Amino acid sequence: MFNIDFTGEFVAFFVFSVLIISGAVLMVSFTKVVHMVVSLAAVFIGVAGMFILLDAEFLAFVQVLIYAGAVSILMIFGIMMTKHQDSGAERPRTLNDTLSAIGALALFGILFYAIRQSDFPEPQTVPDGTVDNTMAIGQQLFTGYVVPFELVSVLLTVAFIGAIVLAKKEAD
Amino acid sequence: MGAWLDETLTWGHALLFFLWGVILLMIVLGFVTYAIFFERKVIGWMQYRIGPNRVGPWGLLQSVADITKLLIKEDTIPRKADRALFILAPALAYIPAFAVLAVIPYTNKLYFADINVGLLYYVALSGISTIAIILGGWSSNNKYALLGGMRSAAQMISYEVPLVISVVGVVMLSGTLNLRGIGEQQGDWFWEWNFLPQILGFVVFIIAAVSELNRTPFDLPEAESELVAGYHVEYSGFRFAFFMLTEYVYVYAIAALTTVLFLGGWHAPFPFLDWVPGIIWFLLKFTSIVFFLFWIRATLPRIRIDQLMGLGWKVLLPVAILNVFLTAVYMELFIK
Repeated sequence: MFNIDFTGEFVAFFVFSVLIISGAVLMVSFTKVVHMVVSLAAVFIGVAGMFILLDAEFLAFVQVLIYAGAVSILMIFGIMMTKHQDSGAERPRTLNDTLSAIGALALFGILFYAIRQSDFPEPQTVPDGTVDNTMAIGQQLFTGYVVPFELVSVLLTVAFIGAIVLAKKEAD
Repeated sequence: MGAWLDETLTWGHALLFFLWGVILLMIVLGFVTYAIFFERKVIGWMQYRIGPNRVGPWGLLQSVADITKLLIKEDTIPRKADRALFILAPALAYIPAFAVLAVIPYTNKLYFADINVGLLYYVALSGISTIAIILGGWSSNNKYALLGGMRSAAQMISYEVPLVISVVGVVMLSGTLNLRGIGEQQGDWFWEWNFLPQILGFVVFIIAAVSELNRTPFDLPEAESELVAGYHVEYSGFRFAFFMLTEYVYVYAIAALTTVLFLGGWHAPFPFLDWVPGIIWFLLKFTSIVFFLFWIRATLPRIRIDQLMGLGWKVLLPVAILNVFLTAVYMELFIK
């Protein structure tokens, strides 16, 4: 099981895994909201690193740009702008904790079983690392998926204008 | 890079990566030291002063003395600050600033990482510094620092949008996000470089870049007259030095990026000047952009906070989008 080549890829995988797991655990265990957002950002960056290891550079840097950058900043802004409790109130809820622990363990068991049971078929056409996957994504978006793509952009525009209208109404 | 990543990671390779990193770090530190010195000198000359001239010959050691002072100063952390984030913020600001330098090609042969989404990499990582600036401002537990951090974040987010959209035209013309490819495709004559065909994009890019750098006329985050010093008001010594370093490393990065994207990178302005090595041309263009940044700092007044957001969203963004549209029309009519 441990006959792995000690390659740069393996080292990077290890580093990113540690980043993701520790970020996720810290996110849950921190009490201050801002600290949680920072550890969440660490998880996002770790996931982006995983995308790079899978030869999906475009996805990786979009992940950093949107999630680690924009979403985290938005969350921090939201936390700072609103009047928030500095740290969440700690209430002893033994029954609740026990139940959620059982639930989490069961979920882990199911996922682990499913991953171990399923076999991953080799893809028919193996994309090699030299293919410019940015261009491939662009071509797919504007040929095969052009209608969903346009619908998404309309949806975002509607949401954007709606947010402005709502904010305007509150301001008046 | 990809090939080396798949090979066995021997100590030799690791040492090689590390050494190249250290060499780049040394170059950048040298640049920052003398950029600060020349900034003070240039502004001094423009304002009919002499500028620093006491430490060393012609004042050349002034920045070295300043940095030494910063390093041996007492490192204070306010008692009510959020200690962990206060310590984390300067490092978090600096790491992306240094990491973006990896994708900058200096000549056709001299570059660190040749990744096919280089431009996106730059934009994505530089966004992380914004988080660090807000965190630094927030964790200081000081109202001026918080105001500075908020202003800075608002400004960096609003100007990142036109900055990214203004380079879309360049990406469309070159058909790649790889910075080396973009540099390579610009022609031998200087009017074939991207700054003339993409003149709208170039202007938007320069304005948005100056704003991203938080430099005059967009230095509202650290407007001394209103905010004491902005987000780093509680920082001193080494940690303060890191924020300053970040700022100047971004000057280096933006100047290099402008050179590669718009000013032809390592190409000579005329084909008959090809015998001069590419790195010299790169350095010449790079230095003129750095000088340009100092020049506008010496001559322009600071913009007002209520005009700042208006300029970003109502002027630069539509112009940048118009530039994308015009480029698309041009390509459809003349290139296809």
